[in-house]
Amino acid sequence: MKKSSLTAFWMILPAILVISVIAFFPLFETFYDSFYSLSLRPGSVKRFVGLMNYERLMRDPRFLADLKHTVFFTVVSVSFETILGTLMALVVHQKFPLRGLVRASMLVPWAIPTAISSQMWRWMFHDQFGVVSKFWERLGIIKPGTPVLGTPGLAMWAIIFVDVWKTTPFMAILILAALQVIPEELYEAARIDGANAIQRFFKVTVPLILPTIGVALIFRTLDALRVFDVVYVMTRGAVETETLAVYNRHVLMDRAFTGSWFGYGSAISVAIFIIISVFAVIYMRSLKLKFD
Amino acid sequence: MKKLYVILALALVTVMAFSIKITMTSGGVGKELEVLKKQIAMFEQIYPNIKVEIIPMPDSSTQRHDLYVTYFAAQQTDPDVLMLDVIWPAEFAPFLEDLTKYKDYFALDRFLPGTVKSVTVNGKIVAIPWFTDAGLLYYRKDLLKKYGYDHPPRTWDELVEMAQKISKAEGIEGFVWQGAKYEGLVCDFTEYLWSFGGDVLDDHGKVIIDKNDAAVKALQFMKDLIYKYKISPEGVTTYMEEDARRIFQNGKAVFMRNWPYAWSLLNSDDSPVKGKVGVEPLPAGPGGRRAATLGGWVLGINKYSPKAEKDAAIKLIRFLTSYHQQLYKAVNAGQNPTRKFVYQDSSLAEAAPFMVKLFDVFINALPRPRVANYTDVSDIIQRYAHAVLTNQMSSQEAVKKMASELRFTLGQ
Repeated sequence: MKKSSLTAFWMILPAILVISVIAFFPLFETFYDSFYSLSLRPGSVKRFVGLMNYERLMRDPRFLADLKHTVFFTVVSVSFETILGTLMALVVHQKFPLRGLVRASMLVPWAIPTAISSQMWRWMFHDQFGVVSKFWERLGIIKPGTPVLGTPGLAMWAIIFVDVWKTTPFMAILILAALQVIPEELYEAARIDGANAIQRFFKVTVPLILPTIGVALIFRTLDALRVFDVVYVMTRGAVETETLAVYNRHVLMDRAFTGSWFGYGSAISVAIFIIISVFAVIYMRSLKLKFD
Repeated sequence: MKKLYVILALALVTVMAFSIKITMTSGGVGKELEVLKKQIAMFEQIYPNIKVEIIPMPDSSTQRHDLYVTYFAAQQTDPDVLMLDVIWPAEFAPFLEDLTKYKDYFALDRFLPGTVKSVTVNGKIVAIPWFTDAGLLYYRKDLLKKYGYDHPPRTWDELVEMAQKISKAEGIEGFVWQGAKYEGLVCDFTEYLWSFGGDVLDDHGKVIIDKNDAAVKALQFMKDLIYKYKISPEGVTTYMEEDARRIFQNGKAVFMRNWPYAWSLLNSDDSPVKGKVGVEPLPAGPGGRRAATLGGWVLGINKYSPKAEKDAAIKLIRFLTSYHQQLYKAVNAGQNPTRKFVYQDSSLAEAAPFMVKLFDVFINALPRPRVANYTDVSDIIQRYAHAVLTNQMSSQEAVKKMASELRFTLGQ
């Protein structure tokens, strides 16, 4: 090893150690625990059970139902966020008065902690005082007196609505960054070649922001698949809105000291991890992303 | 300069050697925290060598639960004094200091028997009851009088009849309660269950919820309140305590099931229903039984705390649960005493007359199932009861599934 790279190695060593301790160790521990039957109760016995937790998972109707809810939530909310986020980015990329102010204020929903904004939305969906409920009643979307968060089907859409409201700005800001680095010359060249606005958008803009959209999609999908706070605050998983993370909290926290469920809870975590990886691979393949 | 530092450091070490700092978890907002801070100041005056630091907890009981799980799993030595929901002692017993030998020091025989039962796990005292709660029926005195009723409802049937008549004529809701999927739903459900003559577990912890038809009838009744008698809004399936209270306080409902805390808020100066509210025990079911769920909070000591801090913690708990401090808390924070004799104090009768009037409710309040995996039991009841209330399942099917999942969870 050259002297300079040796110095470099010593300099990144602390970072590597920190990352191993805070990221890799818990990840490894979770994998490891998922093959055991154990409890956090002091003096309890840890027993190796192989793949039993995973077999049980496949037969757990609650896990399977929650998987369905989670995937539905993810696909719908991330689709809306991507489309709306792209549109939003294109709008604020244009030059107009007070653009800086609009760009900053656009981020407000993203900046409010989810637990707080979800509580706020819970009140807005209230059947008696809720401003959104009243608005939807006027529009004839719901019957008067319908509790949005207590109605199967409707409740999930309300949660998706809140998630889209919250994270579209995040999508927009990432895509805006991609738009800003597209060199103006490319558009000029396209114009000289006789391309119209639509052609310029699909032939120049889209291919150049696609990698960013891909990265943003992975971020968002990853977040959506482990969604917890918005669901937990708004419905606590009632009326078919329970997601995997909400179930996982129940198994890990409510049963931490009783029974031997900690391994099972770890298996749920690993399952979420695997599902996220599957989504990530699909995105990378279909968008031909390269990370190097 | 250097000398000064040395002296300062020495002084600090000396002070630290003679004084003990203990930490205590508590509710983090409003009057509750304010009153506790004043009580701590009084305590520190009596015990100048003990310093108490308050760790405010989140508002939600579930979040507090999860915080304790992480504390205990990590075997943390802090906090020393733990404020615990009345449903947790059995679950957290392995992490709580055994206080059985201090029974007389805390004068536990002078406490409400139900609250003492709730802190007794396998014959051991693991915490001391701090303040208690019970489900109550709030009603609009003025409206009942206006429609010619000379007494509040004594049975559920009476309540339905009154609520139907008054709510129709006034154009408001009849009866609001807690029907969202959370712990509050279990409290409401068990009250109906008991008043209809059933129970979740028997005295030996065996599941008996499906042994008679009380559970089916209770669930059906709760559902009928919404869809058949139409006295509760459909939205009740999303209501927690505060949702119900806001509706009632705005004069938009005739009856409300809630905890004692609502009383002082309903009678505050800016309340539209100030002076118009009465409070009674919850009505009786067909069997004639009136039942209230026992709530409240207890104080335990962290088993992993150092010895000296445990000793200081015991003193603090005795101070906070003493006659005078319970009275102070009841008068100033509106939280119900756990000591029987406080209810006979004239200053309590003046500050919170309903507490004295409803002493029978507080002394007879029934605990939710006292098992170590209560949170699991609660989760099962919540899911199936809520499925019935939101028309996803019949009450017969729900009780059948509840029973079989409860048996599985409890290993029966």
